[in-house]
Amino acid sequence: MSNEWQIVGLTLRTAALATILIVPPALAVAWLLARRRWRGKSLVETLVALPLVMPPVATGLILLELLGRRGPVGGWLHRVLGLDIVFTWRAVVAAMMVMSFPLLVRAARVAFEEVNPRFEQIARTLGATNARVFATITLPLAARGIISGMLLAFARAIGEFGATILVAGNIPGRTTTLSLAIYNLVQLGRDAEAFRLVAFTVAIAFAAVWIAELTTRRT
Amino acid sequence: MSVVLKDVVLPLADFALEVSVEMGARTTALYGRSGAGKTSLLEVIAGLRRPIHGEVAIHGRVVNDVPPRRRRVGYVPQDDALFPHLSVRQNITYGGALDRAVIDVLELAHLLDRGVKQLSGGERKRVALARALLSHPAVLLLDEPLSGVDAELRARVLEYLVRVRDEFPIPMIYVTHDAEEAAAICEEMVVLERGRVVERRALRG
Amino acid sequence: MRLLLLIALTTRLAATEVRVFAAASLTDALQEIAAGYEQQTGDRVLFNFAASSTLARQIELGAPADVFLSADEAKMDALQKRGLIDVRTRARVLSNTLIIVGDGIRSSRDLVGRKLALAEPSTVPAGIYAKTWLVKTGLWAKVAPNVIPTDNVRAALAAVESGNVDAAIVYRTDTKRPAFVIRDGPLISYPFAVLTNAEQPLAARRFLAYARSEAALRVFRKHGFLIAERRRDDVVPR
Repeated sequence: MSNEWQIVGLTLRTAALATILIVPPALAVAWLLARRRWRGKSLVETLVALPLVMPPVATGLILLELLGRRGPVGGWLHRVLGLDIVFTWRAVVAAMMVMSFPLLVRAARVAFEEVNPRFEQIARTLGATNARVFATITLPLAARGIISGMLLAFARAIGEFGATILVAGNIPGRTTTLSLAIYNLVQLGRDAEAFRLVAFTVAIAFAAVWIAELTTRRT
Repeated sequence: MSVVLKDVVLPLADFALEVSVEMGARTTALYGRSGAGKTSLLEVIAGLRRPIHGEVAIHGRVVNDVPPRRRRVGYVPQDDALFPHLSVRQNITYGGALDRAVIDVLELAHLLDRGVKQLSGGERKRVALARALLSHPAVLLLDEPLSGVDAELRARVLEYLVRVRDEFPIPMIYVTHDAEEAAAICEEMVVLERGRVVERRALRG
Repeated sequence: MRLLLLIALTTRLAATEVRVFAAASLTDALQEIAAGYEQQTGDRVLFNFAASSTLARQIELGAPADVFLSADEAKMDALQKRGLIDVRTRARVLSNTLIIVGDGIRSSRDLVGRKLALAEPSTVPAGIYAKTWLVKTGLWAKVAPNVIPTDNVRAALAAVESGNVDAAIVYRTDTKRPAFVIRDGPLISYPFAVLTNAEQPLAARRFLAYARSEAALRVFRKHGFLIAERRRDDVVPR
């Protein structure tokens, strides 16, 4: 059914966008956690890890409050830019971003920690600014771990359900991702079609994690 | 005076580095047993470690609050620390453009496009030296340049070091635990023991 | 004789739990009714409130339930076809009216161009009724692109109350706010029945009888439900 491809397409697009959007902030946070110490650091670590351990619907509810038309973020966007987030594809991306963020931070942090600080020090003595050290030394040496983290984040985004259903609803063609579509079909008793979508989901997730493992293993 | 340290204090694991010394010769050996604090002293001069007290001056300029990238020190660490993801050419030009003179003295022309993983121990040392030299440093800091080099090659690498000393008028601070090595290259020797300067003497070099 | 008395007594003393699966729109009224029922009989009523479509699916899959109170005939028919309800107990009990909740909605045409929350219009009764009406009035095509489907009718109400959508079509009984009442909507019908696999069939019948008693109907009326007229075809099972 062309409908299935539409759902797969929507899921892949939103997951890809979500993964790309979290890269800059996740790398920044991961680098700070890897290379710097400061008071309140463990607070930051805990906050970042929250979406990993909280029930996704709880995270979804918090997002609903923040991004709704009456919420602090959503309200501003609605008034100033006429933009709605809740019940649109943007909410799908937002939910995926929040749920995947801690995974990428974790992987990137480990990747940065594994870069010998020696190299960064030498680069500094050779005249490089912090930005140049990061771009030419730290990032390339951490790239493998970061890419692996991005693939995991992507896989997590594909599988996101609890937060998405609260904050994006279940609008066919617009916010119905693979997981939401499977849920719908099960509700309707159309199990055979549901299983076809399950097959798609397994295939995508399998591919993403497989490549992630390969990327990390080639040391 | 190339490098002047006044009342510099840096706490280390078992003791504290407490140093006041002036190093002005062309080549100064920083000599001592392993664990005496020689590497830490180099790191203080390079700006990679901050002393809790005291003043560090390079060519008359106090550099306590100057970050490493503006101190113009060429630091060749004990483990070379060649950037593994860059070629030889990219490594040595990281801090400054190619200079034929340096390439020729260190005989690196044929190695330029190799990956650093394919280099022998001796070649790695030369590349690390070239990298430091090409950044136009005001002072060269060499941390045990002959460590990890097998006996046969030592003489050859020493030769290169002598050549660098003769061709390029950059003051060198040369850390070693081998007195003969110090004598072969350096004019003066500063002896460090448990974080303190216990002796200074002139050498032939 | 003494044995029967003993049995009657012990069944009274061991509080029976009746599991009632009921349409979300009945939540407030039923909770009030159940309180009275529990006091009177000593039974405990355990509710599962959700969209009738969700409940029907759960019953089909074997979820433990004694009584089903549906918001439309279609869900009850589906269960009856599978022999899951005790047909002798099936009865149409309530009716309802649809309303449109939302600021500034003065006529049905005001729906065009606005985000409209509906209970999922392909499965949930409230949504099906709403869509039926929208199709009948020729508005469906214009309104469909802006429809936000929700899991059940209360979720649609929550969406409009949170301000995230501009309007919602819900039951008159779901909120006391002033709203645009839909007078030409489809006939809404709430059939009730005891389930064949009820663990507590006696208690289930007791509860159902109570839910149809005058005391309960008073509560339903108070919450805004209409009482279905007894029609001759209610008695004949299909």
